Amino acid sequence: MKPDSWKNLSAEEQDWISAYLNGAIGPESFEALQDRMVSSPELRATIRRCLAIDDSLREFAEDSLAASSGNSVASWTSGEPKTVAFPTSKVSKGRRIFPIAIAAGLAFLLGLAFMFVAFRPNVSPAIAATDEPSAEGFAVLTRLFDAEWTTNEVRHEGDTLGAEMFQLASGTAEIQFFSGATMTVEGPSQISLKSAWEASCLEGAVRMQVPPAAKGFKLHAPSSEIIDLGTEFGLVVREDKSHVEVIDGEIALRHRDEKETILEKGDALGLPLEGPSEKVAKGQVSFPDANRFGSRAIEQKQDDFERWKSHRNSLAKDERLIAYYTFDQDSSQPLVPNLAIPRNPKLDGATILAGRVDGRWAGMKQALEFRRPGSRVRVNLPGEFSAFTFVTWVRIDSLDRWYNALFMADSYETGEPHWQIREDGSMMVSVMVDDSRTNPKNPDGPPIRFQRLYFSPPMWEPSMSGQWLHLASVFDPENKRVSHYANGERISREAMKSEHHIDQLRIGNAEIGNWGQPFREDPVFAIRNLNGRMDEIAIFNAALQDKEIASLYERSRTSR
Amino acid sequence: MDFRENKENAEDDARYETFVARFAHYEPDLRRFIRSLLPTAVDTDEVIQQTAIVIWRKFDQYDPKTNFMKWACVIARFEALAYRRKMARDRLVFREDVMELMADEGAEELDTRSAEREALQVCLADLPEKHRDFLTLAYTPGVKVKELAEEAGSTAAAFYMRLKRLRGQLATCVESKVKEEATA
Repeated sequence: MKPDSWKNLSAEEQDWISAYLNGAIGPESFEALQDRMVSSPELRATIRRCLAIDDSLREFAEDSLAASSGNSVASWTSGEPKTVAFPTSKVSKGRRIFPIAIAAGLAFLLGLAFMFVAFRPNVSPAIAATDEPSAEGFAVLTRLFDAEWTTNEVRHEGDTLGAEMFQLASGTAEIQFFSGATMTVEGPSQISLKSAWEASCLEGAVRMQVPPAAKGFKLHAPSSEIIDLGTEFGLVVREDKSHVEVIDGEIALRHRDEKETILEKGDALGLPLEGPSEKVAKGQVSFPDANRFGSRAIEQKQDDFERWKSHRNSLAKDERLIAYYTFDQDSSQPLVPNLAIPRNPKLDGATILAGRVDGRWAGMKQALEFRRPGSRVRVNLPGEFSAFTFVTWVRIDSLDRWYNALFMADSYETGEPHWQIREDGSMMVSVMVDDSRTNPKNPDGPPIRFQRLYFSPPMWEPSMSGQWLHLASVFDPENKRVSHYANGERISREAMKSEHHIDQLRIGNAEIGNWGQPFREDPVFAIRNLNGRMDEIAIFNAALQDKEIASLYERSRTSR
Repeated sequence: MDFRENKENAEDDARYETFVARFAHYEPDLRRFIRSLLPTAVDTDEVIQQTAIVIWRKFDQYDPKTNFMKWACVIARFEALAYRRKMARDRLVFREDVMELMADEGAEELDTRSAEREALQVCLADLPEKHRDFLTLAYTPGVKVKELAEEAGSTAAAFYMRLKRLRGQLATCVESKVKEEATA
């Protein structure tokens, strides 16, 4: 018997299979194919393989497309490079949420909804039931420079903005509305955001840039309403007087109960709270300048990066480090050096399928991307430890999996840690307490694995997609507690019960960004790749305190 | 799967957890098995849903000392045949005799399937990026080949030819990788 393989098929059989996979096989060919299948076990075996490959390819395609929404794929012909853009709505996420969908469907079917809830605590029904999560808002905070905030609510680059009061104490911010309009704001400013097409400047200086697509964008001043008819204007509102100037294009303006007037390039008007509008000479007031803003931002980026580099060099000397990876080495080598001093090349990691992409400082520092299901960094960290602190800078694009891996010991045996993010945005850390404990309910049965998962409240939601986050979790057996941190702040702390206490910790073979080998005896692998990027990760054999985590965040972050 | 700590839950609750854990764990295997019996991924989705429901209903009868996948495959095979009868008008559905042969043999190949999937990832990674992008395109749900081809200034025929070549290349690569592994 010939081995079953694609190459051993006749050209005709290969054509049939192709046509079948394309859903385009003719009725006669299909009959002929099936007759041949009945008589040929090799053909059957090859077809099964081809169908399974077909299915995996579809799954990978969905993953890779869902990973980058609005993805574009370079042309596949040898001719002119063209781009095909995919609307995200075409990308079905059905497969990925499948187990949940099944569970939810069953729970519903059998009236067992409470069991479903019991199985996955803290998952809101909305998450389980809808397959199309949405993010709220109609504008994005695209750039910040030297920004200070009036209230405690600190904003970050990449934040989605909805109907709200945007209050900048000082510095400059750039807001892009989904209509296409761009607003540059200089503090102190108080802007009420109303929709993708409308905002109100109560105080401060703004410059609006309105492309043709966003023509009609409306900006209110305390005593006036301005409709942008295309291109650019500035508005300053200070105390009881506003000042508007058309930088390019034209605007329609209505001041108090005056008639609507059209202002053109170079026109400038004073708009007192009381009294009529008055023509003034242009150039009397300066508006925020988006161009200068750009070059200042680059300088600042450079400064931040330098600051981070010196932080990196001092952190590498911390004796409590088990390992420290920053992914910013020469891209030609597959190894990820462990920077902890003294250097030990045996603790270097190896990247598999993880792509090198821009890190927190685009063009200056690289990060690793774990978008593809097979991507990971493999490491081997031998030794015994007494505590764990995990710290990382990570950019989550989406949480596609039930569990999204940050740092995972391979086989998860006694004393080995798992650090990951649950689908609902909670951080979770766990250490296997006993991987072969007698089952109290069934003492003669197979042993069970005894562990405890420590969750934070959800700290991530889809509107944060693409933002860099500083995450840390501390497993502290000595003080019998487990803590989670986001951007330097502690977001949860939980006591470690005595039954879950374990202080002989190990790592061994492990993965960053994925979980390759669930259990030693089990060939099936789970897919837990993190759909996002990692800029750096540090693992300590120590329980860092609140202050230290906050300081790590402060010293490594970009200035806002 | 992770094992949620679980103290005083009802027996049913535990049973349900076991079921979900098992099912989620073996779902990829089961899926590939079912896929090899049916014309499209959409059919596969249908049948796997049905299969999950039946498995849960019959979960009482499952003896945990026996092989879960074997048991699940028997149910999946039955569900695929039932689906086939419902869809028999679809000309792409295999005849009953063919489907039965495929199911019997497929149930013995689960380990091979999962080894093939791992191999496929390696093979894909070895492909030039251009080819990978092409496959991503071709396998995007809802994509119309004709439109795609036009967009890229090519013909549908050329597209399919290229797809066929790539599939053949991947199948060959997967076969040799799995063989290497088996003999290594």
